[in-house]
Amino acid sequence: MRGAMFRYAAVSLSTFALAAAVIIGCASDRSFQPTGEAGRLTARPGFASRDQFASRAMQAAMPPTREELWVIEKRPAQQEAAPATQPVPGCGALVTRNRENSGFVPIPLKHTDVSASISGYIASVNVKQQFHNPFSEKIEAVYVFPLPENAAVNEFIMTIGERRIRGIIREREEAQRIYAEARGQGYVASLLTQERPNVFTQSVANIEPGKAIDIDIKYFHTLTFADGAYEFVFPMVVGPRFNPPGSKTGIGAVAPSAAGKSGQSTEVQYLRPEERNGHEISLVANIDAGVAVEQVECRSHKASINRTSPRQMQVTLDPADNIPNRDFVLRYKIAGSAPKAGLLARRDEQGGYFTLMLVPPENLGSLPRQPLEMVFTLDVSGSMSGRPIEQAKAAMRYALTHMRPDDTLQIVRFAGNAEQMAPTPVPATDESVRGALQYLEGSSAGGGTMMLEGIRSSLSFQHDESRLRFVSFLTDGWIGNEAEILGELRRSLGPARVFSFGVGNAPNRYLLDHMAKLGRGAAAYLSLQDEPTEVMADYFNRISHPALTDISIDWGAMEVSEVFPRQTPDLFVGRPVILTGRFKGELPSVVKINGRVGNERQVIEAPLAASDAATDARALPAVWARAKISDLSDQAAFDPGPSADFLQQVRGIALEYGLMSPMTSFVAVDSLTRTAGGHGTTVAVPVPLPPGTRYETTVSE
Amino acid sequence: MKSLLVLLLLGMLGSTQPPASQTVESQPATSPGRFVAVDVFIDAGAKSLAAYQFELKAPGPDVALLGVEGVPDSGFNDPPYYDTRAALNRRIVIAAFNTGSALPSGKTRVATLHLRIAGPGEPQYAATLQVAADADAKAIPATISVAEGATR
Repeated sequence: MRGAMFRYAAVSLSTFALAAAVIIGCASDRSFQPTGEAGRLTARPGFASRDQFASRAMQAAMPPTREELWVIEKRPAQQEAAPATQPVPGCGALVTRNRENSGFVPIPLKHTDVSASISGYIASVNVKQQFHNPFSEKIEAVYVFPLPENAAVNEFIMTIGERRIRGIIREREEAQRIYAEARGQGYVASLLTQERPNVFTQSVANIEPGKAIDIDIKYFHTLTFADGAYEFVFPMVVGPRFNPPGSKTGIGAVAPSAAGKSGQSTEVQYLRPEERNGHEISLVANIDAGVAVEQVECRSHKASINRTSPRQMQVTLDPADNIPNRDFVLRYKIAGSAPKAGLLARRDEQGGYFTLMLVPPENLGSLPRQPLEMVFTLDVSGSMSGRPIEQAKAAMRYALTHMRPDDTLQIVRFAGNAEQMAPTPVPATDESVRGALQYLEGSSAGGGTMMLEGIRSSLSFQHDESRLRFVSFLTDGWIGNEAEILGELRRSLGPARVFSFGVGNAPNRYLLDHMAKLGRGAAAYLSLQDEPTEVMADYFNRISHPALTDISIDWGAMEVSEVFPRQTPDLFVGRPVILTGRFKGELPSVVKINGRVGNERQVIEAPLAASDAATDARALPAVWARAKISDLSDQAAFDPGPSADFLQQVRGIALEYGLMSPMTSFVAVDSLTRTAGGHGTTVAVPVPLPPGTRYETTVSE
Repeated sequence: MKSLLVLLLLGMLGSTQPPASQTVESQPATSPGRFVAVDVFIDAGAKSLAAYQFELKAPGPDVALLGVEGVPDSGFNDPPYYDTRAALNRRIVIAAFNTGSALPSGKTRVATLHLRIAGPGEPQYAATLQVAADADAKAIPATISVAEGATR
């Protein structure tokens, strides 16, 4: 039957629909989630009348003191029985609860279920967010959450009971207006907006007491390959951002008691360390690497790994490790040192799409490097205090003691401002290394994150022409003015190469990856579970050999256009890169890579391995469109001239391919379910801080 | 039920896929609108229905698609797909297929479209069935009808 239908799709239907169906996948298992707890109620200090509700709800948002929080709460049956005389059985009540006495904070998000299918280097991920209303009045739930920065989000389904409604991609402002209108008229509706490439807001309107609404989001993305291993990352929480004074478009980090006080366009509420919200996460990843897997490792979480064949496995997050407070990071090493250069292609009625994994030539590893001018830029802001700064220092100690005498070094540290160790980089003699180590040990974390100053201090000084300048940033990247930072980096970069190290368990991967991309370097991540010396040793291995630079590709008979990244990144030892583009004509069996190693030109013929049988080419149009949106968004942010033109192009490509973007949003309205009364109280989902993060230095009360 | 229009298509219409267009028409939802559901029925007679594609037109007021819903126990439970390229030009083109064995025959409600209607006048719905097919990928004669549903 399935074969017949696919034949049908190819021969006669010629519609978008089956193509879309194939891309998105056929039916997935959906299960009805039981609605809210059939609980009994307690009321402290007493029941509120309906008229009292509104004013008390306001108090819920803005309590008079930080010690006491007003919440609308329905208690689980097992916690406390309701008095027999309870006036409105089955309804909730407005209660006050002292935050110091109870750690449980009821929220409208019960569970997140993540199901990933990884084939080759492309992941297809379904995220099911299970919202419910544990309160006694109708609510709107608002949840700010992360996704990978290169996620091509192309499916959005709202489930109400057994009914499943596919959301529609629309221009962002239009989607917001429609959602607001539907919410105001009492319809169940949902809206997904993108605040950053890796930060999204989910709003679900008119959830009645005890009811549940699921939202399924599906996306594709390419995995990174570094130092012999693929890495699959699922971020679970948005780390608390610092926003420079005067900023209005950042991401505020506040306590629930300070809701709305950040003054930022997006705001995340954080639980206090002793609080729990009951939101749990489950995750299963089915992996077909296409080649034999030698080693699988998940340092971030407890996970079970079931190897079903040499190249296939299922990885399941341990149910005991179900608090979504840090990135899930899975690495798996494949047999051999690196994958072969591989071209993956797909044609449809719109033309051809491809991805090419470009692998560094093997001879790079045998060539010595030039002397370096090494700048280490350390984030010593408040969010780095505790374990993160210690991890970063340990990594830097390794780096400082592995430099060559003909290198020069500089340390820049930034928090509320930036400070250099020396006026100019100093030769990496034993004496200056000892001085650098002392300077490092004297660094403690505290204060704001004026990263702009750190960027300027690290890049804006006279370049030593006899050395390559490598600037390494060690930071969690928890700032809200990413565009400003990236713009400054782009302006100040000069001949430098930027390597970013994301420190901690939920770093801002969008910022760190983008810094490395703009800086023609590479990003690496140093979680609190990683061994700092290993991470830095990999970096030193990478930079101990020259990179292949100024790369151009001879595609042969293949007519290639719109390849992203627009400028092919340099190839460092151990760091393949993935290009994606459009094509016409025949697929080549070999491509010629032209580049430069030092002052010498190199031409390398890269035979293209038959595409990984496992890799799923159906995602290629979405992957390409997402890369184009990223490129256009960069141009809108950084290039002189009318950014509106670029943004209009973003809008057009996102609507055509049905993708989330800064200009487009998914909206779904259930026009069959109209609830009574107003749109209820807006309830944000407060989230836990990533482990190792100090509440008092990162969250505004 | 405010309007009903039945449009019969016997046999294949062939592909009516619109050419790809970069034209983006924006008709923001500025005036107050009302939200309605439109149920879509396909009658394939004695044949089993495994796939369909149709276009919904509603001349008159501004009509925006806000959701596409399948129908439990109809053979088309999963939400149908909509054509994003057609949507660029405010066209509503919907399709679905069923690779399972429980295929419906006779008149079956296969989808519900959630719409926002704004502006003067009532929409006159007109659905055009572009293709219906059986499990062997063969076109089958079928009719389509639509009806505005009431809030449930």
